[in-house]
Amino acid sequence: MTIDKDETTKLYELSIYYSKIYRGKISIIPKVPIRNLNDFSIWYTPGVAGVSLEIAKNKEKSFDLTGRWNTIAIVTDGTRVLGLGNIGPEASMPVMEGKALIFKYLGGVDAIPLPIKVDTVDQFVNVVKAVEPSFGGINLEDIESPKCFYLLDTIRKELNIPVWHDDQQGTAGATLAGALNAIKLVGKSLKDIKIVFYGAGASNIATANLFINAGFDAGKMILIDSKGILHPEREDMDKLMLNNPWKYELSIKTNKYRIKGGLKEALEDADMLVAASKPGPNAFKKEYIKVMNNDSIVFLLANPIPEIWPWEAKEMGAKIVATGRSDFPNQINNSLIFPSVFRGALDAKSKKISDEMIIAASKELAKYAEEKGINENYIIPSMDEWQVYPRVAAAVASKAVEQGLAREIMSWNEYYEIAKKIIQESRVSLNTLIEKGVIRNLLNYNSV
Amino acid sequence: MEKGIKFREAKEEDIESIVELVIRLKRLNEEFDALLKVREDIVEQTKLYIKNSLKSDNSFIVVAEYNKKIVGILKAEVRERLFYSPTKEGFISEFYIMPEFRRKGLGKDLLKYSIEKLKDKGAEIVTAEFPTQNKIATDFYAKQGFRSVISIHARYID
Repeated sequence: MTIDKDETTKLYELSIYYSKIYRGKISIIPKVPIRNLNDFSIWYTPGVAGVSLEIAKNKEKSFDLTGRWNTIAIVTDGTRVLGLGNIGPEASMPVMEGKALIFKYLGGVDAIPLPIKVDTVDQFVNVVKAVEPSFGGINLEDIESPKCFYLLDTIRKELNIPVWHDDQQGTAGATLAGALNAIKLVGKSLKDIKIVFYGAGASNIATANLFINAGFDAGKMILIDSKGILHPEREDMDKLMLNNPWKYELSIKTNKYRIKGGLKEALEDADMLVAASKPGPNAFKKEYIKVMNNDSIVFLLANPIPEIWPWEAKEMGAKIVATGRSDFPNQINNSLIFPSVFRGALDAKSKKISDEMIIAASKELAKYAEEKGINENYIIPSMDEWQVYPRVAAAVASKAVEQGLAREIMSWNEYYEIAKKIIQESRVSLNTLIEKGVIRNLLNYNSV
Repeated sequence: MEKGIKFREAKEEDIESIVELVIRLKRLNEEFDALLKVREDIVEQTKLYIKNSLKSDNSFIVVAEYNKKIVGILKAEVRERLFYSPTKEGFISEFYIMPEFRRKGLGKDLLKYSIEKLKDKGAEIVTAEFPTQNKIATDFYAKQGFRSVISIHARYID
């Protein structure tokens, strides 16, 4: 589609144009009043020493007496940035800044972009451990697979603050939310659903695992990577065991009927397809959709162009189609998940973000859409339905309490009110800064 | 032992399945060192090797069978130790279990079963060979009371 290419080129140019003008997307602004220099005797020395002494006595107080409670780091080594591959930490900065902007705008979270230059996974782990005292949480971002699995597992274990890898958990959570409502709409049950995962990278491996934890039958799942259907007898199983144990584990747990071959064989009688492979169009033959069960559900999550066009999937008989894009119905987007998951985890001062907390987020997202009225073209809220964020945050925080992970225990309503207030304030402050001209409003889509 | 799995000595008609599992094992070894790259005629070589082994009186192959399918193998032989005592050694050269049957204690049982057979054949000690870098094998044998006694070191000749 040439129209799309042109549009992308135009957006590239606009983004470069405005990056030259604004020179970065976020900055640090004070949140305390300074009337004159005398006030620094409170905010800085000598007064501040009293605060330091308090924290020295009890490190937990760093969450109450400094901004740590609401500050997270967005850490990347720049090895798999968007679809651009290993472009390095410097080049990943624009993306991390953008992520920080979303964190603040949708979740009220202060997120510091932190691309790092590391050569080994041990170095990566050590850097994150070293910065732990400054942050209330860690968001790992754009790290190549399978390294990202090892890093998430290891850092999650080593740190006492929530650790999250958005490309795994964010995508998995958003996909689950959409799947829950889609399955409800077609009147099938989780346990009976036969799902095919096309693509076995970070997001689909995390999604398959989250689906299993959410009650789907692993035996009825089929995963497909670039070499075809995964099954325990495939010739490269031992190689996978050594190099990608996460994929190996799923190969053993899934596909209990031992179906072999490729996408076409897998889709026979399948109820749902979750494609997260390579950008389309024509990433696979649209005709394959025909062999799926009645009322099939097709998620085409490759960006910027879905594996096949959504209308093609519909023509081939798909009942419900979702993509990663905002210009088609049913956008499966991480941004529906990560700002509010962190909002909830931070407000509950949770020690970690468990799979159950992610599932709670997905269920709340699904419930919100259901209350508004779900249909084929509305299975998941869109990003601008901003009432959903505090609700998801409250669901996540409440689950943390239920699991004994929360250190700040409150009721659902209290969490909801706090999240709502913080997110609202974040928007009010942004709008105020724009109104006052402190943030110059120069955006114009026709400037290049 | 895992339900429905039984051990027995290999027969002529098992050759094809055994060859497949031995080749899987060699391809796994390939992952550990560049000097363990499998040769192009591995299939023929392995067939010959297994056929000869089944004919030999000193060696045997035990298979683990599930639903009439071979899911694990262990090949061993009794050999004379020329310089050391004890003088009779039971040597395990091939040991492979299919992925989905791992971590269920099957390997431990198969080893135990085979060691009994080696003992019947007069072996006083049991030895096993595997790539140095295979940490899974190292840990497994260590757990079964094995220790490293002799190692093979290699390099290219320029």
